[in-house]
Amino acid sequence: MTTAPRLPRPSAVLSLVSLLALLCAGGLQAQWIGYPTADVPRRSDGSVDMQAPAPRLPSGKPDLSGIWVPVNPNRRSNGEDVASDGNDIASSPHMANIGADLPGGLPYQEWLKPIVKQRTENLAIDDPHIRCLPDNFLRAYGLPHMLKYVHTDGLWVTLNEMNAGYRQVFTDARALPEDPTPSWQGYSSAHWEGDTLVVDTIGVRDDTWIDWNGSVLTEAARVREKISRPDYGHVVIEVTVDDPRAYTQPWTVTLRQRIAVDAELIDEICLENEQFVRLMGLTPEPAASP
Amino acid sequence: MKPSLFHLPALVLGLLAAAASEAHHSFPAQYDIDKPITLTVTVSKVEWTNPHIFIYGEVSEGERSGTAWAFEMGGPNTLLRKGWKRDSLKPADVVVIEGSLARDGSNLVNARSVTLQATGRKLFAGSSGGDEVPTAGQKPSTPP
Repeated sequence: MTTAPRLPRPSAVLSLVSLLALLCAGGLQAQWIGYPTADVPRRSDGSVDMQAPAPRLPSGKPDLSGIWVPVNPNRRSNGEDVASDGNDIASSPHMANIGADLPGGLPYQEWLKPIVKQRTENLAIDDPHIRCLPDNFLRAYGLPHMLKYVHTDGLWVTLNEMNAGYRQVFTDARALPEDPTPSWQGYSSAHWEGDTLVVDTIGVRDDTWIDWNGSVLTEAARVREKISRPDYGHVVIEVTVDDPRAYTQPWTVTLRQRIAVDAELIDEICLENEQFVRLMGLTPEPAASP
Repeated sequence: MKPSLFHLPALVLGLLAAAASEAHHSFPAQYDIDKPITLTVTVSKVEWTNPHIFIYGEVSEGERSGTAWAFEMGGPNTLLRKGWKRDSLKPADVVVIEGSLARDGSNLVNARSVTLQATGRKLFAGSSGGDEVPTAGQKPSTPP
């Protein structure tokens, strides 16, 4: 005896059609570009309320989560203090010279002065960034690439759109390693002082470029970041670098970022087809050291 | 040619994006912002690759007619956000490309904008030197 094939119930068909419709609607978003960011505070005209209160973690501390791009007051759209949509990303003035705000500039040690001078004059053709190497976190704050912060009460992770990079900061105030093997991002531990996240980092590599001029950190560097999110639309990072091998005294600069909404990270894998080094006929520069 | 290239909202977005978006490398080391060039090109190949997209083609008008050129643009992420798709340009498309010449004298241009000749539609190219037309003597301040 044969059995007639079972037909799906009308409700199941309806569910399937609804699911397909949803999937198709998602496809119209051109991947994730323009996909609405959740819980964005908006003004009556629909614009992002950049001065709305910052979101909070379960602990009550500010939540740094979000996608962030540099603030550049010299750029027309960025100077208007509006949220980025991912289509108007510019580097910050600190990208070229992280000491741009310091009277007299960065206090370089004598051995480093001619190296930075050469790197500045040759337009950074030896920049590790150009050779697809990772950007240290200090530099990444100012480069025109999206940073995505994923923040919980125990961990703050930065995802860098460039080269699918990452940096992790343990926010449990753990002790820093005593003899760290140098790494691109170093070793970072953080604690809260009020609503400010204080991040201490050691263990970066020698000759870690921190701006386009070729200023560097060495293995002796200790970096302290005081990070705040005063409102929804901004993150402020006060950076103090204490690196006696590279600088005659500690120095402090303030870096700023603004929120990007309705945007998402997209692959930017430099090694895929980098042509600059080949077209310029360059060879790698040896690492600088005192 | 049919205007099959760009979604209109994305096109509008791209056209409104007046602020420059810098890409990956040292623009002033490789290109001369003071040597602008505009070429009408028949596309032969598009390399939709990171960190920069390259368009290859043959000049179809003017004194450089018949010569082969390469055009460097922004990265796929930048161009996707400006309304491009990976198949926005196809071989045999005719485009007008504005950009800056390479310093080494080769047939290489850093593209600032690409306009489809058949429709007049224009998209910014995500140039590492900025998408806005520079004024005389103006240098891109933030190349990488």
